Amino acid sequence: MDSNSTNSSSIDSAFQAKKLHGEQETDKLGTLTRSVNQLKKQIQAERVVSVREKLEGNRKNVETHFSKLVELASSREDVSISMEHGLGNKLSARMENPLCIVNGHAKGFGERDLFNVEEAVSSATVKLPLVEKIPPYTTWVFLDRNQQMSEDQSVVGRKIIYYDPHGGETLICSDSEEENAQPEEEKHEFSKAEDHIIWMTFMEYGLGEEVLKILIQFVGGTPSEIKERCKVLKEENEARQNQNLKDSEKSVSEECAYLEQNLSAALDTFDNLFCRRCLVFDCRLHGCSQILINSGEKQSYSYISEDEMKPCGEQCYLLSRVIENLPEGLEASSFQISENRTSAEDCRTLITTIAGQPEHDHDSAGKHKVVKPLNAMAELVSDNLLGSGSKKLKSVVQSAVGTAVEDRIILGHSPTALCKDLEFVGTDENQTINDANNKFGSGDKIKQDARKNVKKMPILKEISDSKESSEWKPLEKDLFLKGIEIFGRNSCLIARNLLPGLKTCKEISKYMNDTEAATSGGDAADNGRGNMDHMEEAKMPGARSRLFRKRGRTRRLKFSLKSSGYHPSIWRRIANEKDLPCTQYTPCTCQPQATCGKQCPCLQNGTTCEKYCGYVRPISTSVQRAAKTGLGDVTVQRVNAKAGSVHALLLYGIVTLMFAAIAGCGDGSLGEPPKRGDGQCGNMKLLLRQYQRILLAKSDITGWGAFLKNSVNKNDYLGEYTGELISHQEADKRGKIYDRANSSFLFNLNDQYVLDARFKGDKLKFANHSSNPNCFAKVIFVAGDHRVAIFANENMEAGQEIFYDYNYSPNVAPIWARPPEGSKKEDSSVPQGRAKKHQSQ
Amino acid sequence: MAKIALGCEPVVGSLTPSKKKEYRVTNRLQEGKRPLYAVAFNFIDSRYFNVFATVGGNRVTVYQCLEGGVIAVLQSYIDEDKDESFYTVSWACNIDGAPLLVAGGINGIIRVIDAGNEKIHKSFVGHGDSINEIRTQALKPSLVVSASKDESVRLWNVHTGICILIFAGAGGHRNEVLSVDFHPSDIYRIASCGMDNTVKIWSMKEFWTYVEKSFTWTDLPSKFPTKYVQFPVFIASVHSNYVDCNRWLGDFILSKSVDNEIVLWEPKMKEHSPGEGSADILQKYPVPECDIWFIKFSCDFHYRAAAIGNREGKIFVWDLQSSPPVLIARLSHVQSKSPIRQTAVSFDGSTILSCCEDGTIWRWDVVASS
Repeated sequence: MDSNSTNSSSIDSAFQAKKLHGEQETDKLGTLTRSVNQLKKQIQAERVVSVREKLEGNRKNVETHFSKLVELASSREDVSISMEHGLGNKLSARMENPLCIVNGHAKGFGERDLFNVEEAVSSATVKLPLVEKIPPYTTWVFLDRNQQMSEDQSVVGRKIIYYDPHGGETLICSDSEEENAQPEEEKHEFSKAEDHIIWMTFMEYGLGEEVLKILIQFVGGTPSEIKERCKVLKEENEARQNQNLKDSEKSVSEECAYLEQNLSAALDTFDNLFCRRCLVFDCRLHGCSQILINSGEKQSYSYISEDEMKPCGEQCYLLSRVIENLPEGLEASSFQISENRTSAEDCRTLITTIAGQPEHDHDSAGKHKVVKPLNAMAELVSDNLLGSGSKKLKSVVQSAVGTAVEDRIILGHSPTALCKDLEFVGTDENQTINDANNKFGSGDKIKQDARKNVKKMPILKEISDSKESSEWKPLEKDLFLKGIEIFGRNSCLIARNLLPGLKTCKEISKYMNDTEAATSGGDAADNGRGNMDHMEEAKMPGARSRLFRKRGRTRRLKFSLKSSGYHPSIWRRIANEKDLPCTQYTPCTCQPQATCGKQCPCLQNGTTCEKYCGYVRPISTSVQRAAKTGLGDVTVQRVNAKAGSVHALLLYGIVTLMFAAIAGCGDGSLGEPPKRGDGQCGNMKLLLRQYQRILLAKSDITGWGAFLKNSVNKNDYLGEYTGELISHQEADKRGKIYDRANSSFLFNLNDQYVLDARFKGDKLKFANHSSNPNCFAKVIFVAGDHRVAIFANENMEAGQEIFYDYNYSPNVAPIWARPPEGSKKEDSSVPQGRAKKHQSQ
Repeated sequence: MAKIALGCEPVVGSLTPSKKKEYRVTNRLQEGKRPLYAVAFNFIDSRYFNVFATVGGNRVTVYQCLEGGVIAVLQSYIDEDKDESFYTVSWACNIDGAPLLVAGGINGIIRVIDAGNEKIHKSFVGHGDSINEIRTQALKPSLVVSASKDESVRLWNVHTGICILIFAGAGGHRNEVLSVDFHPSDIYRIASCGMDNTVKIWSMKEFWTYVEKSFTWTDLPSKFPTKYVQFPVFIASVHSNYVDCNRWLGDFILSKSVDNEIVLWEPKMKEHSPGEGSADILQKYPVPECDIWFIKFSCDFHYRAAAIGNREGKIFVWDLQSSPPVLIARLSHVQSKSPIRQTAVSFDGSTILSCCEDGTIWRWDVVASS
């Protein structure tokens, strides 16, 4: 509706004219109605013109194109046919010599019998040889792991039109009671023209009740909507004016702008889109905006005592401490150091090459400028993280995120390795520069200092850093906090990984001390690194609450009570499991400090805590032992557990399973007890997707079937039944549609979800039902997710078709086994605008 | 239907015929007993501009329109499977210039007939259910696209017999696809519509290498790396019921549902967020008694006029280029009472053919206006 905006000036003038015309206060409203009416007519007329212009433009665009098409069409000729047969094109030949000719009736025809083409040409009809057709199916997409249904695919609340192939009619079915509950009223969306009317009216007449009434007549919507819209327009108008002002001012260097940004904003994508359970971005199974759970299982960073630490560079706080601790007269040595900076630089280049670490560009001021991504992981993460944004920020965040993801993996190794190297070279070189004795002599002092410093990690707040020579930007502060979270009070690592080029180790160390001094009142008693863990813990809740605040919009699936008790007839189920479906697992957020006790949501839901839960007990040696002795012990534990302690025991069990899994469960290569019967670890095969090759072919029974490529033994894992995870409510609705289509791929998973393999799934969705099956399905809890695994019930030959029992709810036979319903639904729901392929007789 | 906002109203055509042109019945044929679902002129090859094909039941028949209302029967094909019921036919052209007929129907098998040799050229098995429409890419007439009940749209190369792309999946249709059409100038673009009440615009730009690869493929067609195009670039909810026919009119789209009208609208895509956007309904062309589904309209070569039949055997011819819409003519005949499934307009619009549920073909010719 661009034309509306371009033409708005003319409308304005019309409006003005009208307004002047009816200036009298008395019939102000009458004037309003008239002028709005006129405005409306004008808008409509302009719309007609704009449509015409559009069509005209479109026609012109197309014209050249069609001339090209005509050219193409006239350029066709037979290339090979005439050569091959010498007879020329048979179609052209037929035009000379048609099968028969039917004369026209220029003056109409009366009762004459119709010319029957079929009979006339039957002798010359060419037969198209029979081609065997394939069983029907709906196009589906292969899925190797379950996916959450995307919201836009929901059929709940939508009108569904069925097509009845027998009657050739369509039926619109909507489950009225359900849908009525949902508000039908859509929000009124204002077009530009409507905005214009509202704005003009508002400017001239304000927004009195009478005015609103008139506006509604022309524009629609509700009074509140109009009022709201008016506000929006007002703001837009102001914003536009401000924009003009701003534009002139705007030339501030954007270089530093990113430093003003908030880290949590920058990490938003990471926090919200990264699935910590699957370690992928944009996880289709667990969705985005998961609750962030800081797992208690997380190990604290490997702490290196300051004794062992070597200066990370010339700006290292350790060096500065050395200097500080030197007798006052030795200031000269610091001077010396700076003098010999060049040689130090040489060292560094050497070191970087040795350590294979990214290069640090160096300017004379000693500031690091560009840091290449630490590793591929960081790159991967940041690519997703920041599509745009300055390169510099990217690299900073890259390293931040990289380290965050890799957590303690990196920190133990490369940086320290670097430090070592630095020391190695540094000592050599510095011998001439620095008095080595000074350094080592002050070793004790350093220790003391360290103790002093390692006091109490405060909950960091805004701290005025006016006294700081180097200003701390918000982003830097955030990165610093993250650094503390990841590395603890190791300013070398923080400087290196999170703030390269921004802050030196020394600055960070200073900032660290300053912030402590600013917040810690007393409490200087605790010393030593033993407290580090404690401090770490104390700090974490603070950090977490900050993150929690950010992540308000947790996606929760609504669960309708109404549908929970209702199980449609045609869902595939697992029967052997007790009648109760499993409960969906949601990681609990129990805090590490508080014992995960009776109030734990996991316990209350009847699930077990998993490694994704907030609190997982540190893996004790006993569990490790259990892992070694095999699964048997764990099973026993599980069985014997009483209500109170079952929780913890199950937890151990799962941890054990994981351990056992990592150790290579099942093949006996690591000396674990041989698997026995059903006790084999199916989870592992599921987790590692070690499935059998399944073939899709025409079933011996009906339609499609799934077949085995290779022979298998009894209880072997064949594959997973994958599909979309849909809610029970959704499944109810879809089930009704599928009932009509006579094919359903619904599979009851747990209390919250049903699997639907209709649109997405794997070949096992085609495995047919049998009451005497050779396979069985089982819902298995793997790494926090319920999944459906298909196992062989007997030894099976290669090429055998796979059958399992769908286990329809008892007392309800499959829909196709029942006679067609006397359709009360159909009668009641015949809609007004129904479509028919055929005319009703 | 939501209220149409002020300033976005479509321009609705008047049903009073303009009398610009008059058409008269000049011939009619009874092809068989079974309903005829499609009729199509050959717009691919200028030598055969007056040749048309019809499908109904298990047969495909080729005719020629001659002067004075004369119709010549040229070729006749019959599928050996008596249960086949063809729903659609489209003319195509092989690399070597041979005219091809591509037909599909209830069996879901696409039959490519070599009309130059009067024999079957290829049969494509792959669709999981019946085929509702086949269209040919006029710029590359060995590419055809098919719309199927299996909820997918597929792009085929009739020369090599390869299924190049499948337009289905996460963002695909959620019910039968009833109609599909190639954009006239943007070779990457197609529009499809169906029983899920939506019209979807797809782009195969990112997949074009596969299209090119399909021409030089020498291995078995089944070994070709067929790709899924899962996300359309645009989804329009212009209709509230089955959408059974859509055609590009330049960059605009003509589509119809069962609401007694054809709608012309402009897809307004958002540049950076594919799949989103709005449809601006520009014009409406009313067609009375056109409320059953599977009635398709057709246009002349230049898309100047569109002809559509209705449930009662009448035909409405609309001028597509004028605004407001002008009804060129309303064709009716006392004996034409059966629903007209599809029409065909000749190259210059002078002849209109209709094929009916009762198996008859009607020919209407323009009468020189006085």
